[in-house]
Amino acid sequence: MTDIYVSEDIKKKKHRPTHPQSPESPVLEAQTAEPKTKAQREKIPEHTHNPLSAYCYYPESVNFETRESEEKVVLMMRKHPITNLRWIVVSTLMVFAPSLLGFLPTIEAIPANFRFIGILGWYLVTTAYLLENFLTWFFNVYFITDERIIDVDFYNLIYKEVSEAEIEKIQDVTYKMGGVARTIFNYGDILVQTAAEVPNFEFLAVPRPDKVVKILQDLRIEEKQEALEGRIR
Amino acid sequence: MIPLVGSITIWFVAKIFVIIALAIYAVFAGVVLKQIKMMTDTIEVGFETPIIFIGLAHFLFAVGVLVFALIIL
Repeated sequence: MTDIYVSEDIKKKKHRPTHPQSPESPVLEAQTAEPKTKAQREKIPEHTHNPLSAYCYYPESVNFETRESEEKVVLMMRKHPITNLRWIVVSTLMVFAPSLLGFLPTIEAIPANFRFIGILGWYLVTTAYLLENFLTWFFNVYFITDERIIDVDFYNLIYKEVSEAEIEKIQDVTYKMGGVARTIFNYGDILVQTAAEVPNFEFLAVPRPDKVVKILQDLRIEEKQEALEGRIR
Repeated sequence: MIPLVGSITIWFVAKIFVIIALAIYAVFAGVVLKQIKMMTDTIEVGFETPIIFIGLAHFLFAVGVLVFALIIL
């Protein structure tokens, strides 16, 4: 159908999808409205300049290889920093482990030069363990743009996978939060089912999953409105 | 020192194994550095320089330990 009537009110609300529960909330207003200027972006509570942030709303200086020129990154996420606690603790213990070697009675049987190289080798392994875990966390990123969702996965430093689906192909979005740590630190998993080539997207252990779902809902509504008005890029 | 075969001692064999292991590790560190550069090409979040520096430091550390082992073992 080409002659669908679109009311003036809907046209005016094009860039301001509202929330049925609390349309007057200033925080929500700031989240759902697309910031046009840098000053507007600065006012958004979840906007940050920290490149190690796990949740950044309208991030600046963020780019990825398949990004189109007009595409705007709405949200960048990675796993909640608390999920790194395990490897940080293990790395700390590995750093101090060589100091326990003196308690081994058989250590004196090994020549001093071999002992020294052994300790340096141990620290090499510790560095590799630390580096691999950090890079895996840092480069496993989820992007939500105004057009697509993108899941960038890096596995074991030698394999990467980039999956994407258009917002309009999203069929269902669910999230789950369970357990003590997830409740305390407010993070959870989001499952996005799509009609795209990749049927399922999993955003694992991302902060504020309820807000992410809300943002995806708003973007889907906006995409539907754009489709109705024939403004698809 | 008790020789295993002729003049070859157990520490000489250990030295060969250590050198081979450190050489393999240095190659691994080079692969990690290459991978970091590839990753930073895929995603830019404004933290590329420190990450590449960390990868480079790790590679130099690995090569340094290999050279040091060749000298002192």
